[in-house]
Amino acid sequence: MTLALTGHGVARGIAIGRCHVAVRNELEIGEYRIAADDVDSEIQRLRDAVAAARQQLSDLSGRMDQSVAVPASEILQTHILMLDDSTIRQNTEDRIRGELCNAEWALQSQLEEVLFEFLNMEDEYIRTRGEDIAQVVRLIQGKLTEEHGATHFEHIPDRLADTLVIASDLTPGELATLHERGVAGIVTEHGGPHSHAAIMAASLGVPAVLGVRRAQTLLREGETLILDGGKGLVYASPDAIIRRHYHEVQAETRRFRLALEAIKDLPTQSLDGVAVHLMVNAERENEFRQAVQVCAEGVGLYRTEFLFLHGAPPDEETQFAEYGTAVRAMENKPVTIRTLDLGADKMPGLHELAEPVRNANPALGLRAVRLSLRDAEHFKIQLRAILRASALGPVRCMVPMVTSTEEIAKVRSLVDETRDELARKGQAFDPDMPLGCMIEVPAAALALGDFAPYLDFISVGTNDLLQYTLAADRVDEQVAHLYDMQHPGVIRLLRFIFREASALNLPASVCGEVAGDRRYTRLLLALGLRDFSMFPGRLLEVKQVILNTDIPKATTALTHWLNNPSARDSSLLEALDASQH
Amino acid sequence: MISTPVTIINKLGLHARAATRLVNCASGFEAEVNVVHGTRVVNAKSIMGVLTLAASKGTDLAIEAHGPDENDAVAAVVTLINERFGEDE
Repeated sequence: MTLALTGHGVARGIAIGRCHVAVRNELEIGEYRIAADDVDSEIQRLRDAVAAARQQLSDLSGRMDQSVAVPASEILQTHILMLDDSTIRQNTEDRIRGELCNAEWALQSQLEEVLFEFLNMEDEYIRTRGEDIAQVVRLIQGKLTEEHGATHFEHIPDRLADTLVIASDLTPGELATLHERGVAGIVTEHGGPHSHAAIMAASLGVPAVLGVRRAQTLLREGETLILDGGKGLVYASPDAIIRRHYHEVQAETRRFRLALEAIKDLPTQSLDGVAVHLMVNAERENEFRQAVQVCAEGVGLYRTEFLFLHGAPPDEETQFAEYGTAVRAMENKPVTIRTLDLGADKMPGLHELAEPVRNANPALGLRAVRLSLRDAEHFKIQLRAILRASALGPVRCMVPMVTSTEEIAKVRSLVDETRDELARKGQAFDPDMPLGCMIEVPAAALALGDFAPYLDFISVGTNDLLQYTLAADRVDEQVAHLYDMQHPGVIRLLRFIFREASALNLPASVCGEVAGDRRYTRLLLALGLRDFSMFPGRLLEVKQVILNTDIPKATTALTHWLNNPSARDSSLLEALDASQH
Repeated sequence: MISTPVTIINKLGLHARAATRLVNCASGFEAEVNVVHGTRVVNAKSIMGVLTLAASKGTDLAIEAHGPDENDAVAAVVTLINERFGEDE
């Protein structure tokens, strides 16, 4: 008979494999006195243990694939910060000195004091962070007792392929280690959908079901298990019907992945033979690698904000080095560098430019190109760095949130000035570097013709354009339902933009989220879009839809839907899909 | 000494990863940086301190700094919060 257990499905995916029940080593924390003379060496022992723990966590984090595992790596960073926090380290050292006790015991007493404080917090989320502190302390104690393994388990095989690990709970470090050893799936007795183990598993792509009561007792070592991470189910001794079902699901997933892999090198064109260009939004090295892997035609959006979020604004050389890395990584494909798009009036080093206006709406305030133009000298530092990078490979410069013709004219003249300055200094740059702007403000969209003389291309930032057009912030749950890509007004505005751009001979792309959402691909094609820019992981899915779309049919369906409000018996997206049959 | 009011606007509030980014940001400055929530004052360079604030979306805080680069420190931390810690929502 099949045994089915339920829990929180926190990381999607199917895992089929052998059950391994991981039993935790219990640490015996003894208390003993030390001589006053030994205080310094005991403190040194603690510091060495902390250093070893830190090394282990940062090694694990360093080996992670940063293009997909950002949350996982950040959770390890949180634990590293906890290791070094004075609440743990300094106070434990003080205890060793004051109470003349061993480091393990001092840590234990310190942990209990901190936990007491945490467990009295009103906020449930913060209470559960007490678990993280306990895990960090446990890690140091393990190092003190010279536990050399990467986990606290009695025995864990080095290779875990086709193995499902059943644990009472898992620390972020343990989960990362199991992932490195190729674990097929994870079941724990404790932990909820918001636990760090849940976030880690989802981020690393390990199918996981957490909070399965008595899993360690009910599941037997060596038996075959099927885990459905999406549904939160674990089957032991699955019968033939369940086994067949899940083998089919697995095969289907594999076929989908292979199908995407197979279209990688095909030219991107629709069924009716129209060429479409797919680019990526990327700014990290691994994202560039991924972009090259999926045969992207370039970077359609390289954001520069990350350079400005830490400390003083970066100087020209720092920016030039970063942009140069991107240009080289993309192997002669164009990189579209967007100038600073920071909101708020609190830019480090630039804050004196803005008088803070309390309660003003930051989305409508001094941000992006408005802020850049406030101080042309600062802005030119960025323009110089971008121009210099254009000597290393094809670069396009893009300005965010342009509202008026004056703004784009001003940017154009600053670029020209900067170019002349570089030429006088004998520095290399591409004299024909294209200049474009983001279309996010509805008034700018409608005035495209006025902007055109100053522009070489445009890119539509659909996230902000929708927010401004619909006067709804999608983050505000109370009005999020109004934030609707299928609003007829939005559709008409987008259609106007692409038609106008085409009439003006301006290449137009979309770099907002919808560009990477395959549900919207047909709609964007029908609206006239031919250049997409998206997260690299989405490119092949979108490409697959393009290869299977007849654009004239989709366009006819779109026109019919727009012109006949009374005949809308299905959603626009459904109508577009139906048009293809 | 400089102090600037700021409101937490990201959906999840000052959760562990957001707190980690805040601590990393503040630690890049020489100035002493504090986060003030009502009568509670915590060191912005201490993860435990920042976590115990339990600041959810909508919480009004003040960022204070004292030291040679206090202006930049406050500006950087405030920007990070206003930019939703780089999260989408």
